[in-house]
Amino acid sequence: MKKKVILLVDDDEDLRLSLRLELESGGFIVYEAGGVGEAAQVLPKITPDLIVLDVMMETPTAGFQFALELRDKDPNSTWSQYAQVPILLLTAIHRMTPFRFEPDDEYLPVEEIIEKPVDHGVLLEKVRNLIGRP
Amino acid sequence: MISESSSREKVAPTILPDARGQASLIEAELSNSVAWLIRIRWLAAIGVILATWIVTTVFDLEVYSHVLLGIGAAILAYNSGFYWRNRLMEEAKAPASAYQQLVKWQVALDWMAMILLVHFSGGIESPVALFFIFHIIIVSIFFSPRAALASAVLASVLLAVNAGLEYAGMLPHAGVEGFLEAPLYRQGMYVAATLFFFASTSLIAAYLASSIERNLRQREQEVVQLSGQLHQTGLRLQTLNEAARTVNSTLELKEVLNRLVESTARVMGVQACSIRLLDKSGLNLEPVAIYGLSQAYLDKGPVSLASNLLAREVFSGKVVNLPDALNSPLLQYREEAQQEGIRAILSAPLLGKDGPFGVIRAYAMTPGCFDQQDEVFLVAMASQGSSAIENALAYQTIEELDQEKGRFIRMVTHELRSPVGVIRNLLSTLKAGYMGDLPGQGVDLLNRASRRLEYLQKLIDDLLDLAAGKTGVLAWGGDLETLLMERLVEQAVQRFEVTARQKDLNFRFDNSIGGQGVWIKVNREVFDMVLDNLISNAIKYTAPGGNVTVSIGVNEGVINILIEDTGIGIPAESMGQLFYEFYRAPNARALEPSGTGLGLAIVKEYVKRMNGHITVESRENQGSCFSVTLPAAPTPDIESADNQPRS
Repeated sequence: MKKKVILLVDDDEDLRLSLRLELESGGFIVYEAGGVGEAAQVLPKITPDLIVLDVMMETPTAGFQFALELRDKDPNSTWSQYAQVPILLLTAIHRMTPFRFEPDDEYLPVEEIIEKPVDHGVLLEKVRNLIGRP
Repeated sequence: MISESSSREKVAPTILPDARGQASLIEAELSNSVAWLIRIRWLAAIGVILATWIVTTVFDLEVYSHVLLGIGAAILAYNSGFYWRNRLMEEAKAPASAYQQLVKWQVALDWMAMILLVHFSGGIESPVALFFIFHIIIVSIFFSPRAALASAVLASVLLAVNAGLEYAGMLPHAGVEGFLEAPLYRQGMYVAATLFFFASTSLIAAYLASSIERNLRQREQEVVQLSGQLHQTGLRLQTLNEAARTVNSTLELKEVLNRLVESTARVMGVQACSIRLLDKSGLNLEPVAIYGLSQAYLDKGPVSLASNLLAREVFSGKVVNLPDALNSPLLQYREEAQQEGIRAILSAPLLGKDGPFGVIRAYAMTPGCFDQQDEVFLVAMASQGSSAIENALAYQTIEELDQEKGRFIRMVTHELRSPVGVIRNLLSTLKAGYMGDLPGQGVDLLNRASRRLEYLQKLIDDLLDLAAGKTGVLAWGGDLETLLMERLVEQAVQRFEVTARQKDLNFRFDNSIGGQGVWIKVNREVFDMVLDNLISNAIKYTAPGGNVTVSIGVNEGVINILIEDTGIGIPAESMGQLFYEFYRAPNARALEPSGTGLGLAIVKEYVKRMNGHITVESRENQGSCFSVTLPAAPTPDIESADNQPRS
């Protein structure tokens, strides 16, 4: 069976390494991007089954905006072919601000939100829940 | 202040009996006197009837008994009339003049009855004539000294005319048969001597009685005045006392200032009062509390020490009374003051430790209405107010600093948070063996590092919570919900049931509200955090077999949540520092070495954010009781009632 592909977007190189190792141990193929800009370059080269997306990167809301672009309902948009790819949002925003988010079709079109810091094993479990075992 | 105008009276508070009492005091006094006169008259009438009967039956003397009895009956009759009239007047709260009128009628009828009695009991020979003295005294009591002397003269003239007419045979003599051996009314010397002594006795009696009465009246006036002054002084003392209480009861600057201006204006009975404080530049006086002034007047322009002569004068430490404010060269905004209707201004400085820092002003709409007493009072209010304001300002500064500290903690911990999180991830990746198996000592070292990191993570999270409490970030997060308080507490208790059972504790929820539906408006995360923190502490610090009880109650809109345990308790010396950041009581530290010492500091901040209070009672080795009081919210309407706690 073909291994499932995950695009991991986070500006923290060390965190990426740690999460990549965890996901790879679970049998996934992981591509990394250090920000939204890099992700935009990587995306056309791969066909991810899941995107793990940090929120605060180039800008404090870069992850939110990228999620909105990916899920743009316009069929001619740049990312229309990825519109069905599930997104898992990584964020420390709940801890840092009074704002509270949960997945929302209109404003926050993601499948799952994980609170940082990510405890070991949690990410792998959520990923398996979303896209199943490889 | 006795001569206060009616407009000033209107705004006087009604804490003590109304000052209007001064007037009604005089009316009550008059009404009492009239009643007294009527009571005496009953006795007099009965006396006439009784005396006639005794004289005729016991002494067997011949008198015009039917006439005398008739006079007695007439006195009884007209006295009944006066009795009812007085009762009616009392009920109708008649003015003093009506009572004076009533007395005049009584005196007139009494005198007619008196002269008839004298005539029919022997005229100049009658001992009854001496009773005229009583009537003269009564006149002295109710009327002026002049009227008293006139009544003495009138009594003498009446007696003289009666004697003269009888002497001349123009009026039949109505003597008492058997009383005198020989009639005396025709003996010139006797008649003249009796009249002379009667007249002089009457005049002396009138003089003495009216002198005594005059002194009494003077005293009465003094009492009325003094009671008025006492009333005012009482009010002022009460206000000063209230102002003093304000100092202790609140540290909210706005509240302190508002109470000061309002109570000052009310007690002084003036239309307006204001407090202005020096701004940060130390050059301008900004209005901070106003009572009774229009916005237009407040917007009149800046009050600076450089250009406002009145402010400058007050800032030299003086009380300044402008009895005719509009014509005072000290007034800067004459036109605006005139439009506002201000005619007199009394100003006193607010003196702090470093000199004047503001000014309190009372405004009146009548010129010259502030006297020395007012000055003394305003200075006293200013002095009470100054300390209250200084305390509140100091408190405000501390609050601001505390918030600043919160913001700083937040910034620093934010920066600490992500590296710590990443290190934890990296370590756990190592521990998970993705890099191959580690030697046993390596695993041990990794575990030690992880434990330290766990603590660091907890510390950072706690610091963030504390900063959130201080800066209000969570509480103002916009998701305040109106929730059923007892459900929230019940759910918190349920969250700990397993832990408590595992520790073999007697863990109870005591709900004395019992479905009354008490609501609370809170940020749910904040509320849960407070309860979880307190309950988990109680469980943590209570030995197996002990009791932990959570109880709730509500009284007059105040919710009280108690978390009681029979645990290790808090040493007396630790009580004062219990809510300090990073403080941990020695016995708690001994029992549970890891712990940030921030839990109770966070709880305190959060409770404060919810407009509540937290207190603790405890004895070492006996247990602790934490009490959280919070304001209850009004029952929400049906649309928002679906805000039921998520279970």
